[in-house]
Amino acid sequence: MEERKALIKIKPKSYADGEIVKVDFMVMHPMETGMRKDKKTGQVVPAKYINSVKFDYNGKIITSMNVWESVSVNPVFTIYMKVNGAGNLKVTFTDSTGEVNESSIEIKPKG
Amino acid sequence: MQRRDFIKTLGAAAVIGAVVPAMSFAADAPKGPNAFSYKQALDTITGGKTPVKSEKIHLKVPEIAENGAVVPVTVEVDSPMTESDYVKAIYIFATKNNNVRCVAMHLTPANGKAILGTRVKLGGTQDVAALVEMSDGSFLVNSQSVKVTIGGCG
Amino acid sequence: MKSILKITLGVALFTSLSYSSEQFAMSDADRAMYADLLDANPADMMVQDGKELLSKYGGGDAGLAKFLHVSEDKLPAFIAGFPRYLPDFKKVVGLGQVAQALMVTNGNKAFALKDPKMFNMVAYIKSIANDEKINIDVNANQQMKDAYALGEKTFNERRGGRGLSCLSCHSADVVGSILRTQPLPDLGVNNSGGTWPAYRMTKSSLSTMQHRFQGCMNNALQAVIPLGSPEMVGLEVYVTNKAKGKAIAIPGLKR
Ligand code: HEC
Repeated sequence: MEERKALIKIKPKSYADGEIVKVDFMVMHPMETGMRKDKKTGQVVPAKYINSVKFDYNGKIITSMNVWESVSVNPVFTIYMKVNGAGNLKVTFTDSTGEVNESSIEIKPKG
Repeated sequence: MQRRDFIKTLGAAAVIGAVVPAMSFAADAPKGPNAFSYKQALDTITGGKTPVKSEKIHLKVPEIAENGAVVPVTVEVDSPMTESDYVKAIYIFATKNNNVRCVAMHLTPANGKAILGTRVKLGGTQDVAALVEMSDGSFLVNSQSVKVTIGGCG
Repeated sequence: MKSILKITLGVALFTSLSYSSEQFAMSDADRAMYADLLDANPADMMVQDGKELLSKYGGGDAGLAKFLHVSEDKLPAFIAGFPRYLPDFKKVVGLGQVAQALMVTNGNKAFALKDPKMFNMVAYIKSIANDEKINIDVNANQQMKDAYALGEKTFNERRGGRGLSCLSCHSADVVGSILRTQPLPDLGVNNSGGTWPAYRMTKSSLSTMQHRFQGCMNNALQAVIPLGSPEMVGLEVYVTNKAKGKAIAIPGLKR
């Protein structure tokens, strides 16, 4: 299965326990609508889009999303979360053709 | 350089430029695999309840989108985000796209703030709507029109 | 005078040019929303990919610094001066050509200049100079003087069936006029030199400055000049110099 480039960014870079931080999750994905015609072949490009994104913080799903093809190519999703101890934020994302991938980042509050 | 000259040459270049097809909203427009109307979406989610228009929903979209393929949308909802009072879900709709659904976000108090940001494709000028489900089961809605100069579908 | 020009342009071009910039003018709030997108630029993923490619094929930052004969702490300021004359090449080169030679030196086959993987690598290399001010020196030596002169000539030269030059659309005279809904950008004020490679939202991909030039050539019905050619490098020198002193912020984000 194709491995998708994805990135999680936390703002601010340095944060304390209990602080609410911004989380940007982005992934390289064509987000095909199933309505676009390939310019060269004239054929309709089959639909293929991210359809689910789940944010798992230390084993607990804090946010989940259903996503459809109206989201832009190489989608970006911004959420917030309350830092609640050191650990790991894991994002699991699937697409409409069954691709499943995940990406994660260490959560390390200062002090 | 002579202005007249400029106008002549530039004009010629401008008209031959690629024409970006805007997505048609006509009833006979081809329907994609996921065609889904705004009404269908609202009914499915609220079970027929009429959502209340609310200024608690801060919907940020550009008035004029310079490119329909990437239109920034941010929804922020006033909420304490406590166990007893929080935002359960935020839905973003492009009300005239073939499939109006963009994102359905399910939140928990662990989010701390009820905010969803993303970028959507808009096939043409239309309203972007945010529907919000609160933890008490009530539904709120807000929307804003976005004028698209170049369509984002196709 | 300028507003008269806009109106004349509009009337002359009917729907191609709007009648005034107001019609499509973005509000400050809209502009701020688009500026916010830089916070989470999809090209961040491509820059990260470029970093991995550089370490895989070119020995990373250290390998690059060694290849350029500068210390690693001087590397950012050195990169902020590209395109440069490099004695090893005996000519003025852009970062893509440096990356190619570095790959070969490390026993790898170089990516073509037009390969998206090369765009990613160039974006990462330039991002090493983020926050540095553009310090290109077009009088550093004869080769740079020549490259600048060739760039200026290429910029001003009318080419193609429509007889357009880069200057036709990017002179102070017409900047701000609207061409097919797009305001004509001032390449200096816009800090083009410090913001390419950039993510192009209309293309959903990362593009280098030279590749952007090719886009304009295509639109203007000019024969497209190859990436890395003396004319292309000259154009990059000329355009980058317009933003000299401005801070580098890679990856940029463009319409
Ligand atoms: C027909 C008019 C036209 C011509 C001729 C033209 N350009 Fe452009 N150029 C534009 C427009 C319009 C944009 C902005 C497009 C956009 O925002 O998508 C642009 C954008 C650019 C940019 C990116 C600006 C930024 O945001 O950093 C660069 C660099 C550039 N042009 C260089 C050139 C060069 C070099 C040439 C000559 C080879 C040239 N252009 C010829 C119309 C033109």
